[in-house]
Amino acid sequence: MIEVRKYSFLGLTAIRSSFAYLGEQLFGLVFLGVILFIFLQLWRATFAGAGAVKLGDLSLAQMIWYLAIAEGVVMSRPRISSEVDQDLRSGSLSVQLLRPLEYPLAKLASSFGERLVLFGLIAGTGCLLAFIFVGTIPFSLEGLGLFLLVLPVALLLDTIGFLMVGLSAFWFEDTTGLTLIYSRMTMILGGMLVPLELFPDFARPIVEWLPFSSVVYVPARLFVHPSFELFGGVIVRQGLSLLILSLIVFFVYRAGLKRIHSNGG
Amino acid sequence: MISRFQNYASLAASYFRLNLSAMLEYRAAFWSQVLAMFFNNVIWVLFWSIFFSRFKIVNGWTANDVLTVWAVGSAGIGLSGAFFGNAGQLPRLITQGQLDVWMLYPRSLLSHFVLGRSSASASGDVLFGYIAFFALVQPNLERSLLFVLFTVSIMILFTAFRIMAGSFAFFLGSASNLATALEFALISLSTYPSALFEGAAKFITFTLLPAAFIGALPVEAIRDINLEKTVLVLFGTLVFAALSVIVFYAGLKRYESGNLLEMRS
Repeated sequence: MIEVRKYSFLGLTAIRSSFAYLGEQLFGLVFLGVILFIFLQLWRATFAGAGAVKLGDLSLAQMIWYLAIAEGVVMSRPRISSEVDQDLRSGSLSVQLLRPLEYPLAKLASSFGERLVLFGLIAGTGCLLAFIFVGTIPFSLEGLGLFLLVLPVALLLDTIGFLMVGLSAFWFEDTTGLTLIYSRMTMILGGMLVPLELFPDFARPIVEWLPFSSVVYVPARLFVHPSFELFGGVIVRQGLSLLILSLIVFFVYRAGLKRIHSNGG
Repeated sequence: MISRFQNYASLAASYFRLNLSAMLEYRAAFWSQVLAMFFNNVIWVLFWSIFFSRFKIVNGWTANDVLTVWAVGSAGIGLSGAFFGNAGQLPRLITQGQLDVWMLYPRSLLSHFVLGRSSASASGDVLFGYIAFFALVQPNLERSLLFVLFTVSIMILFTAFRIMAGSFAFFLGSASNLATALEFALISLSTYPSALFEGAAKFITFTLLPAAFIGALPVEAIRDINLEKTVLVLFGTLVFAALSVIVFYAGLKRYESGNLLEMRS
């Protein structure tokens, strides 16, 4: 219990700290505005070209709101991989190891806290822009409830994924390349740019079972088009992904620690 | 005039050799960044192939046009990072008062400064752009020559844009986040079908965020082998480059030294 409180406290401290530096994120919102505008034009042209009212069971307005939430997830990606990379390469990990905290859990807790605030800011602004661009869409309390249940797990899964990439610095000289590839895979295979319903038939079952869809597609889809059927399947997939990724991080960290050589100074 | 050009070309070649050998000191890190950027672009092209497998044409643009945009854009932007990679550091160095070290050299400050660093990942962009264009678009001789010409013009334009965006730091004090947001916005606007933008948005892509000179016009000029659009791209690039130099030197008058003891690494 004390352990849980310890890491929760780290998360809460990160949340408070993120609120203090919220102004730094404002210019990122300019980029969000540009991206949402581009996608509005892209999907408007696509709907008109296809002569369709709905694509993948989503109307144009639902598609833009979907993008606002999906962008919120992707743009709030944490800096955890570069922080871990830096800690390992600079040797400051040895200082962290002296603390009565498990290093990966401490990193995860503070990154997750920061991310919650950032997601709120980006997704909130995205929703406001979506409202300005296309007006409102039908919402239900059940739908919002389902969204709020899957969202924290989605953000946690993605943060663990970036932690895993950062820990690869035990073996690689530099992890910026891996971080880039991982974030692009989240964007494309997670369904940020094109919802999974519009993927080719052969690819859809594969991407549905990859953890990326549980991170981006699922919360965004449940937000704009709630479905208990989707929710039921997602709980299992999110649980499995969480278990597998946590185990990978555990073993990678244990194996990595054996490679540390600490010199006094 | 010609001897002056030769002088600066030899300076650029010397800097490039020096930067390359510095990056190759960390060979694994260099190649991992090159490959990561290459695959990042491949992932984007995969996204567009998924998109165009469902929707054949977007406002008159085909999959081939989008492939050309990605090829010419990434090669040009990559060349900018490979030769003039320090331009992206401008706002940070101005804010920290670290331009002093660049003022000690003969020739103009701006030339030394922009040439002073090379980005490893930029080489991945260049590789991708040239391979994608010649292997997948399979152009004739005229189109190939235009492609090479435009990669050079985009290199100049993108460097000029970075200088101009970075120079805001002379006037605002801190402009790193603003410059990054503007840079991402420019790249995003450049890599989507230009036919999506009309009215004010189109005007912006010819002026404030000159994406039309990176994406739309080069693609149309290559596709239609159009001399008029080629001249327009070159003219726009020259105007933007001249403006960026004027803004930089106007801002430099407001520069305050950080009074730091510093060595170039």
